[in-house]
Amino acid sequence: MKKKTRLDNVTAFTMLIPIVVLLTIFVVIPFIYALYVSFYDWSFYQDSEFVGWSNFSNVLSDPLFMMSIETGLKFALFVVPAQMILAFFFAHVIRGMGTKLSGFIKTSIYIPTIISGIIASIIFVFIYDYNAGLANVIVNMFGVENQAWLADAKTALGSIAIPAVWLGFGITSLIMLAGLLDIPESYYEAADLEGAGSWTKMVYITIPLMKNVVLYLLIVGFTGAIQQFELPLVMTGGGPLNETTTPNLYIFNHFRNDLLVGHSIASALLLFVVLGSISAIIFKVLNSEKAVDG
Amino acid sequence: MQVYRGKIVTSILAVVILLTLVLSGCGNGNTNAGNTGKTDNEGGTNSQAGNDNTGEKPAEKVTIEFWAQKFEDTTDAWFKKWTDEFNKTHDNIQVKLQIVPGDAWAQKLKAAQAAGKAPDLMTMSYSGIAPAAKIGQIKPLNDLMDPAVFDDLYENIKEFVTVGDQFYAYPKLVEPSAVLYYRKDLFEAAGLDPEKPPVTWTELIEYGKKLTQKGVFGLSTAQTAPDLGWSSWGLQYNAAGHLPVTDDWSKADVMNDGYKELLNYYKTLYQDGIIPKQQLAGYADATPFGEGKLAMTISGSWSIGLFRNDFKDMLDKIGVAPMPSIDGDPTKPTATLGGWTLVVDGKSKQPEAAAKYIEYLLAGDPGIMIDFFKTSQFSKFSPRKSVDEAMAQDPAASSDEWRRLIAEKVIPFAQAEPNYPWDISIAFATAIESAMKGEDVDKALAKAEKTINDFIAKQSLAGTNPK
Amino acid sequence: MKLKDQIIKTMMYATGLLVAVVALFPLAWMVISGFKAKTEVLSTPFRFFPKDWMFSNYSSILEDPMFLKSMLVTFTGAVIFAVLSLIINSMAAYVFARLEFRFKRTLWVFVILTMFVPGMAILLTSFIVVTKMHMLDTMAVLILPGVASAGHMFFIRQFYLNIPLALEEAAFIDGANRWKIFTSIFFPMSYPVFVIVGIGSYLGYWNSFVWPTMTITNVDMFQIMQFLNTFRSERSTEMGLLMAGSTLAAIPTIILFLIFQKYIIKGIKISGLK
Repeated sequence: MKKKTRLDNVTAFTMLIPIVVLLTIFVVIPFIYALYVSFYDWSFYQDSEFVGWSNFSNVLSDPLFMMSIETGLKFALFVVPAQMILAFFFAHVIRGMGTKLSGFIKTSIYIPTIISGIIASIIFVFIYDYNAGLANVIVNMFGVENQAWLADAKTALGSIAIPAVWLGFGITSLIMLAGLLDIPESYYEAADLEGAGSWTKMVYITIPLMKNVVLYLLIVGFTGAIQQFELPLVMTGGGPLNETTTPNLYIFNHFRNDLLVGHSIASALLLFVVLGSISAIIFKVLNSEKAVDG
Repeated sequence: MQVYRGKIVTSILAVVILLTLVLSGCGNGNTNAGNTGKTDNEGGTNSQAGNDNTGEKPAEKVTIEFWAQKFEDTTDAWFKKWTDEFNKTHDNIQVKLQIVPGDAWAQKLKAAQAAGKAPDLMTMSYSGIAPAAKIGQIKPLNDLMDPAVFDDLYENIKEFVTVGDQFYAYPKLVEPSAVLYYRKDLFEAAGLDPEKPPVTWTELIEYGKKLTQKGVFGLSTAQTAPDLGWSSWGLQYNAAGHLPVTDDWSKADVMNDGYKELLNYYKTLYQDGIIPKQQLAGYADATPFGEGKLAMTISGSWSIGLFRNDFKDMLDKIGVAPMPSIDGDPTKPTATLGGWTLVVDGKSKQPEAAAKYIEYLLAGDPGIMIDFFKTSQFSKFSPRKSVDEAMAQDPAASSDEWRRLIAEKVIPFAQAEPNYPWDISIAFATAIESAMKGEDVDKALAKAEKTINDFIAKQSLAGTNPK
Repeated sequence: MKLKDQIIKTMMYATGLLVAVVALFPLAWMVISGFKAKTEVLSTPFRFFPKDWMFSNYSSILEDPMFLKSMLVTFTGAVIFAVLSLIINSMAAYVFARLEFRFKRTLWVFVILTMFVPGMAILLTSFIVVTKMHMLDTMAVLILPGVASAGHMFFIRQFYLNIPLALEEAAFIDGANRWKIFTSIFFPMSYPVFVIVGIGSYLGYWNSFVWPTMTITNVDMFQIMQFLNTFRSERSTEMGLLMAGSTLAAIPTIILFLIFQKYIIKGIKISGLK
């Protein structure tokens, strides 16, 4: 790795200009602006009043906010591992298949990805319908009585995690597949020569070489899942008893109902802290020098 | 190193500024092509200090932005029809109507307000008026409209749009939040008299039990906190005579027998399986009743419109009655009067023109409003005396039994929606929901009391009731 | 051994088909529901197929000029968005994967941190920014704010990290510069990644609803999700129409995917080199 360090300042900066400029204008400036107004009672019609940390302390002392963070984490724990493990095995299945059939299967698992969150929520509300929903038709076949999937505190969060997995499974599998195909065949051939079994190959070749992809999927899957709010908004409204109020739904509810927006902006900024720290932990744990060092 | 960093920061900034200029250039180009209204606005802002000529020259055409929240298709169509009519008959004013979906209303409106781009006119519900007036988000209409138009309003509704001694909105309609709909044929099948709907909560529960059979639930009502938040206001008045805070908003007021009975009522409905364990549709959407999945449902008066438009072959079997009262006293409130108004934005540059539109649409020719109530199948009610008088001449309206029942037996006793922050409503609704899901009633109320008191302290709410 | 392979193979096919069926079921239901009357979508007892097939949902949407117009506008926007996103983010990905330069770490952290900014935090303030830039009601407001994406950059970079250095060394010796290496070596090898990121960007644009609703008022520029939302309101939803509309709106994306998906299976063709 250690070559004589050649500095390519001009090329690097030229090629980075678009991304840096766009992110500055549309993310960083709005972000700093939001940070600034979060210390005010930002009113659009009267003079805004400086309130120091009180927006933040109000959010932090609200038990519902803490509960929403917990819900978001739980939700991410339901969705991300399930999605990744399923996708990992499924990517293997596809790879092992002839191209003809795999084309069909790839397309079918990918298609859910193209449905918007709101439409997916509506479809699954039907599926979980108490009276006529498919989920209850199925459990009835096994002699179980109708379940209140979305209204029972025990099942609600899990029930909204399923459409989340459904929506994300296709693209996750494809990314895994791309990652798998990226591993040079020669590695496996060498392993075959040494008589390695398929388990050994997976542990010593596939998994380590997939680290880059897995890191990406973990970070993106995690930030996506914890920020999910369309599913609970449409399917449960955050209920029963706030069991499915994810952080973004909490923020959205305040945004919609509060007269002033300080509380929702402050809570969104606190969510940024949570997302950033947990992602930093994921980076650290996977400790990919390539990834962090850049 | 430091020097370098400085240089780079400067060059990045330079690029940002450059790009901003380029982009704004291209943005303007497109705007000019498609949207003249916007450029007019820009002109207005720039020239505001010196030569604001839009107001002075009468020949100049003013453009009014109007955002209406999306409701039933019939309502959207009615807004479009009469806005076109207004634009045809008013040479100086052009009203640009935009129907905004409910899912994105809050984001769109708040962002526009933050950027100083709020519409001149918008729809607003009664409960939003006082808080909005307090922070100057909407303009008083007294000086903008002919005072006579306010005299036409019913006294109690006049109150809904008044803050201090000013009118801040003009009402379009009122809708009672709770009416009982029941299936006459199922009543007969269960041995109940279809002409005698339940009048007390006990009866409602008892009937509900008798009507519950396989595939049909006895009753449906709100059962999630967000729905209960607003739909239980009427029943709170019914049971306790007041809402869960004192009038001056200084502390919670829930630890009493009325509230206990209210929680027990909901708890019984849920625990005894009279209402489904999971709601079939939101409280506002009575579709499952129309589809025959329920023997009785409680929903707002607007559901009449749904039944009449979408479930025509059900109409003969449907009975309508006031929502039962805790003790059978029909003069106690069981519903709140929700509804929609039009307001003028606090920063509108053309408040007179905006008010003129309100005057035309909502306060002018009764025929325009009658057209609305007709297209909504008489599922909504007029806040104006003259409209009701004109409607009495109308054969379709005067012969409508359901309309008469609600107008005579529900509306006169209904209460106004509260204007305290939603947090209070949701805190109490959460108590109802947790009782339904098995929590002890006293504990649920104690928790609500604490949540409300905490909220009052945190927001320094005591004594801030604008009414 | 042969038998075992056979069994494994059969099981793989079976699993694959099963997963495909489960994944497709909700969608099949969406398509079928488009043929149902509004009141039949949720009738009891559960029925998959409609009692009477009605085509009016589909035909009324197809006859609505608004629908086709908004499909076209959205499709154009989404394609431009995806292409721009690929160019901008892959350039940055290449730079971060390969080049050494001053402030690399600082810039890396700067870009990566933007990935965690919750949309809700900057919703109002970015609206103020685009308003100040006079971008409302233009294509620019739909495309520019989201096109630079730390997530996509990060993803592409993860793949670039796996491309063997040997390839570039050879090019360097031949006198190629960085730009040349990027366009002639990295770009062509990026098909599978580009297909994934491109489709991801395309979909992000296609499915967005709140931002277009906030920034687009001109009916001629209505985005497809804005159009579909006209069938929904809190008091009742035109289920049949909504399902039919969503089905029709999904078609161009499915076609696009069918065209491009074969590139994914090819993989980055570098296997022999290492």
